[in-house]
Amino acid sequence: MAQQTNLPTSPYPEGAMLKRFVTKRMGRATLWSNLFMLATLVGIIALVALLYNILNSAFGFVALQNKIDPTALVLQVEEEQLLAAPKVVASEDDEELAAGIAADPNAIGFFGYAYYQAHADQLKLLSVEGVMPTAATVEDSTYPLARPLFIYSTEKSLQTKPQVAEFIDFYLANVTNEITAVGYFPASSALLAAGAARLQEVMANTNESERSDTIVTTGSSTVYPLTMRMGEQFAAAGFTGAVTGESVGTKAGFAQLCARGSEVDIMNASRAITRVEIEACRKAKVRPVELRVGSDAVAMVVSRENAFLQGVTLEQLRQIFTTASKWSDVNPDWPDQPIARFVPGIDSGTLDFFVETTVGRQLADLPKETLMTILTANVSKGLIRRLENDRPFAERTQEEVYQLVVARVIESQIVKSWSLRDSLLRRAEIEAEVAQIPNGELIFRNWLTADFVTSPQSSEPLQAGVRTALLGSLWVILITMLFALPVGVGAAVYLEEYAGTNWFNRLIETNINNLAGVPSIIYGMLGLVVFVRLLEPLTSGKLWGVADPTTANGRTVLSAGLTLGLLIMPVIIINAREAIRAVPSSLRQASYALGATQWQTVWHHVLPTALPGILTGAILAISRAIGETAPLVVIGASTFIVMDPDSPFAKFTTLPIQIYQWTSRPQAEFRNLAAAAIVVLMVLLLTLNASAVILRNRYSIKEV
Amino acid sequence: MQGELKMVRAQQVQKELEQSAPPPFNLKRRYRPGETIIQGFLFACGVISILTTVGIIFVLGEESWLFFRNAEVNIVEFFTGILWQPAILRFGIWPLVIATLTTSIMAMLVALPLGLMIAIYLSEYASPRIRKVVKPVLEVLAGVPTVVYGYFALTFMTPLLQQIFGKNVVEVYNNASAGIVIGILILPLVTSMSEDALAAVPQALRQAAYGLGATKLETAMRIVLPAALSGISAAFIIAISRAVGETMVVAIAAGAGPRNFNSWGDAMTDLAVFNPFKAGETMTGHIVRISGGDLSYGTLDYTSLFAIGLLLFLMTLGLNLLSRILVARFREEYE
Repeated sequence: MAQQTNLPTSPYPEGAMLKRFVTKRMGRATLWSNLFMLATLVGIIALVALLYNILNSAFGFVALQNKIDPTALVLQVEEEQLLAAPKVVASEDDEELAAGIAADPNAIGFFGYAYYQAHADQLKLLSVEGVMPTAATVEDSTYPLARPLFIYSTEKSLQTKPQVAEFIDFYLANVTNEITAVGYFPASSALLAAGAARLQEVMANTNESERSDTIVTTGSSTVYPLTMRMGEQFAAAGFTGAVTGESVGTKAGFAQLCARGSEVDIMNASRAITRVEIEACRKAKVRPVELRVGSDAVAMVVSRENAFLQGVTLEQLRQIFTTASKWSDVNPDWPDQPIARFVPGIDSGTLDFFVETTVGRQLADLPKETLMTILTANVSKGLIRRLENDRPFAERTQEEVYQLVVARVIESQIVKSWSLRDSLLRRAEIEAEVAQIPNGELIFRNWLTADFVTSPQSSEPLQAGVRTALLGSLWVILITMLFALPVGVGAAVYLEEYAGTNWFNRLIETNINNLAGVPSIIYGMLGLVVFVRLLEPLTSGKLWGVADPTTANGRTVLSAGLTLGLLIMPVIIINAREAIRAVPSSLRQASYALGATQWQTVWHHVLPTALPGILTGAILAISRAIGETAPLVVIGASTFIVMDPDSPFAKFTTLPIQIYQWTSRPQAEFRNLAAAAIVVLMVLLLTLNASAVILRNRYSIKEV
Repeated sequence: MQGELKMVRAQQVQKELEQSAPPPFNLKRRYRPGETIIQGFLFACGVISILTTVGIIFVLGEESWLFFRNAEVNIVEFFTGILWQPAILRFGIWPLVIATLTTSIMAMLVALPLGLMIAIYLSEYASPRIRKVVKPVLEVLAGVPTVVYGYFALTFMTPLLQQIFGKNVVEVYNNASAGIVIGILILPLVTSMSEDALAAVPQALRQAAYGLGATKLETAMRIVLPAALSGISAAFIIAISRAVGETMVVAIAAGAGPRNFNSWGDAMTDLAVFNPFKAGETMTGHIVRISGGDLSYGTLDYTSLFAIGLLLFLMTLGLNLLSRILVARFREEYE
């Protein structure tokens, strides 16, 4: 700057100064042009953020808490069906099963592998999916009907409670001797040794504290008898305390083990810990120690006299034990003989395991009859009768019955919901959180389903839909159109074709322009006083004797439609005037020259020519009316109705009102619903706007 | 007298006509009741718009009159008080007005610079291809219902502000997020009106500037912008009027109760009354919340809404008239 003041007298920069001057100017020009571009980009980003935000909430994980675990429900009904099939012998006594199978060449059955070994001379072992159960295939689970058995302890228990460590040490040393008696497959000595080594490693940092007498165990019902048996043996070997046990299932067992301040010493498990459960443990600062104690394998056996079966697939097994009645039903090469089935009794874990691995289906995949069985077994007779009266079950589809089972038997409740972004990026954390919920289930929910559009409003977010609101919107718009379109176009025709230039017509014109700038909420207040209160007999339908006795006030579809009609009237008039003005006056003059009256000219020539333009404007005005919320809140849209509006005198709610209400509720799942409703609203608006664009295009082609 | 004369002449002509050969057509202007009725109906349609305005003024005026006439209401307190609590009969309008001003100013801070810059970019810089992409985007933004913007403010803007400024600074309901989102809402309006004004500046002006060696920026800022200033300021004022009257965004995101103070002294401590990160109900937000509940006609709660509505109506009407005057008075006419 100082240099500049010393410059020679010439007003123009020269030499090096000129170069600098030019660079500076160009620099500034580039900077600003980039800034302008950036501003435009910000505008686009705003739109993207708006849409992203809606989609982000319209889909995502939902944690449900079920009153009844659906897998247990399926398992129960499948087992019952399996046992109810013809020619089934069920027995808790494996000796009986083995004898029965051995005697009949057309028999098939299954039980714990240990029992097969005891009767190997009479029975033939089948391969499943081509794999024979052997020590190796069972241990690494290549045999489809095998599963590992574990006990889990925690580092804390092992390090602070010497009796737990001693018991586990004893357990690992002696389990092989006892496990066959319980019916399971022993683990290889290598695995057991690895477990013992892990134990020693943990024990290295023992933190001795006073000795207590109890060992708390919980978890899988499959491992439970084994652990209790080991407990007895331990007591026989001199342990004075008590080994207490609970059989709650593996999943619940892990939830107990991985809870903060867990008191569980030993957790029985019939599967390995999952990533999610590890995460839950990590959060609760519990370090689980995994010890393999054996395997559970179901042996599929037939009689030694059976010649046609060497191996089966899982699919064949499913048929053999469920749908088929003769061997030839499963495979035409097999004899045309009825299948005799021998299965362990309903209390046995083996049956559970078999059903889970072979027959097990998802609840949604069950046939309608099965779902009906579940429904009748779990809800009251009165409810069944009521549902039957609503609509006979014979007419309902499998899908509908499934929905009923979900709603009435499982009774899922939303505990928490997550956005799409969280669902994708924080999956592990979410899963860990859901693992803490008893009977919890994590589902990926698309909030925007066909059901959402067709079901009425509900206070239960899982069942809530927008049908009432959507129909309300359509009703209100219908009234709005019937009122605003003729009147608006009429006013436009008057101003363009009839009105001279006197003060009154100028007033109308200025007035319309000013009305377009009045906030919509003011129209709501006008509607409240004029349509809802002053014209109540008219708008509530009392005057016509069709008043809805439950409301009998003016807060009806009619009031709403008229209010919105006044609101969009200026927009319709301004657009229609423009369209009418664009009609060439030669057209009018030709019509007059032929002797047409003014109205004939307007009706037959001006309006048809201007129609596309008028309609375009009208559609844009209508889409504004559809999105309008504030005036309808003021004139008193109903907050909660489930009845479809069926006349202009019905109570109403509309889509934007519904969105407003759901958004105002604090629970996250209602925000999800609001997002889904927004998508419905936007689709409605986009359709309308697209038709406006099409009209406009057709119009401009005609003009050329 | 003249009328009588005319009548007599007409009768004469009539007689003459009847005496001569009967004409093929009756050329007399026929009385067409249908035409008259239709014209009457069309006139009535035009009058409905007047009736709407009269209705608005009458309704707001009458109920406000009932409000101010009430013995419990002190009109001086209404216009000076900073405590709005109908339950204890304190009606000072300022908490609502200040919240409205705060959100509107925030909206202006977002929409005016951004909107003007986008308009300049679109009209002076952008290639037709880019314009073809950006303009529909802005049209989509303009077509989104306001309740969706409200949802956006509450579930996107507020968490964003909380992330930037800290959760203990930014309340869940706050004026800032509502204001910013209103800014986005009126952005298309500012852009399209400003762009129209810029596009109306004749090309010759730009070419003259280029001919003198001006850069694009200099042409845009020193030649085109001043020439379009009246249209742009009209756009700004219309935008302010929209922001003041905007309802759903503030009803959802700005707060569910007026930010009251016992005295102006309290209100001005640390300028607490202007803090945009705190909840504070605006005029429109208050009307929606109160009328959304069960409200019996004729109570003070009810009539007070109309007093607020009247003030709101006058504010927006004033702004709209101002914009109209600006356009009319400062428009530069070019051939």
